[in-house]
Amino acid sequence: MKDFKVLEIKTSVFADNNLQAGKLREELKEKKVFLLNLMSSPGAGKTTTLVRTINGLKDDLKIGVMEADIDSDVDARTISQTGAKAIQLHTGGMCHLDAQMTRQGLEGLDPDGLDLVILENVGNLVCPAEFDTGAVKNAMILSVPEGDDKPLKYPLMFSICDVVLINKMDVLPYFNFDLEKCKENIRLRNPNAIIIPISALKKEGIKEWTDWLHNAVKSWCE
Amino acid sequence: MHELGVLNSMVHTIERIVKEQNVTEVSKLVIEVGELSGIVPRYLEQSWPAASYKTFMEKTELELIVIPGIVKCKGCGRVFNAVYSDLSCPDCGSSDMEILEGDDMIIKEILCC
Ligand SMILES: Nc1nc2c(ncn2[C@@H]2O[C@H](COP(=O)(O)OP(=O)(O)O)[C@@H](O)[C@H]2O)c(=O)[nH]1
Ligand SMILES: [Mg+2]
Ligand SMILES: [Zn+2]
Repeated sequence: MKDFKVLEIKTSVFADNNLQAGKLREELKEKKVFLLNLMSSPGAGKTTTLVRTINGLKDDLKIGVMEADIDSDVDARTISQTGAKAIQLHTGGMCHLDAQMTRQGLEGLDPDGLDLVILENVGNLVCPAEFDTGAVKNAMILSVPEGDDKPLKYPLMFSICDVVLINKMDVLPYFNFDLEKCKENIRLRNPNAIIIPISALKKEGIKEWTDWLHNAVKSWCE
Repeated sequence: MHELGVLNSMVHTIERIVKEQNVTEVSKLVIEVGELSGIVPRYLEQSWPAASYKTFMEKTELELIVIPGIVKCKGCGRVFNAVYSDLSCPDCGSSDMEILEGDDMIIKEILCC
């Protein structure tokens, strides 16, 4: 009879990814590159916000973008028009990026000389929350039409985000969306989250967001 | 496919563990899946053949143990299963709660030859 061995390990299934993500963050620290992971549901306004963000910071920072949102290069092209270095990642239908895919993306982008790299993650509020990409900070966009109770339905996503941008504030009058209630719901999940209402379309609230990001990049690259 | 990505990540984690233990064959995995993990056990079972295809675990059996999503209400202290209470406290209605159990997916045992 064969030897039978039981390893009792009690390790998270995400252990290996977490390890990879930690390594990637260390390397980014050494290279003085800040990686931001930007997440949201499809259509919440990631690409539009990205364009505003780049325009607000491109005089001060060298910026690169990795587009993973959809398997087409439309978004990457939109971003390229801002002058930022952009590449399209082909996720092959995966619902999230893990640390290994993020590393490959970074190699493709070649981040040497860049200060800030923004990853536009796959549009989805479940899977990207579970996979640490190796990013220095996580930001998510919640748009007004999605409803103020979204933080209650997707607790993990809100608990891992450093910043929550509430986008499409320009359409607030047309929706049954209570901004204070929404902030309260976000704080239930994450008391430390920074919450900034914006309208990417009307370019409102962008300065508060880019100031926060600029400071975060500066303190990381010091 | 969310569960497929989770399983791919798990295969990598197990690969590293068994290498450290000098094991080459795994006959069975025992995995705990929390009800609040966002991961659906039925989809895990369906995705396992694809996730293990052409890996060292192609023949490995997957056993799942579902861990109930137990939370404690921060308003009144009641401890309850969040899934059956629609994520709010059955006593005071508060949505502010602390998760006690069932928000993770854990590799519990690896049975090797
Ligand atoms: N009304 C309004 N529409 C917006 C705003 N931001 C983005 N949109 C629109 O929402 C749609 C999706 O935006 P996009 O940036 O592509 O979202 P993504 O899928 O998250 O990248 C587009 O039609 C945008 O014009 C906003 O602040 N207000
Ligand atoms: Mg987009
Ligand atoms: Zn209660």
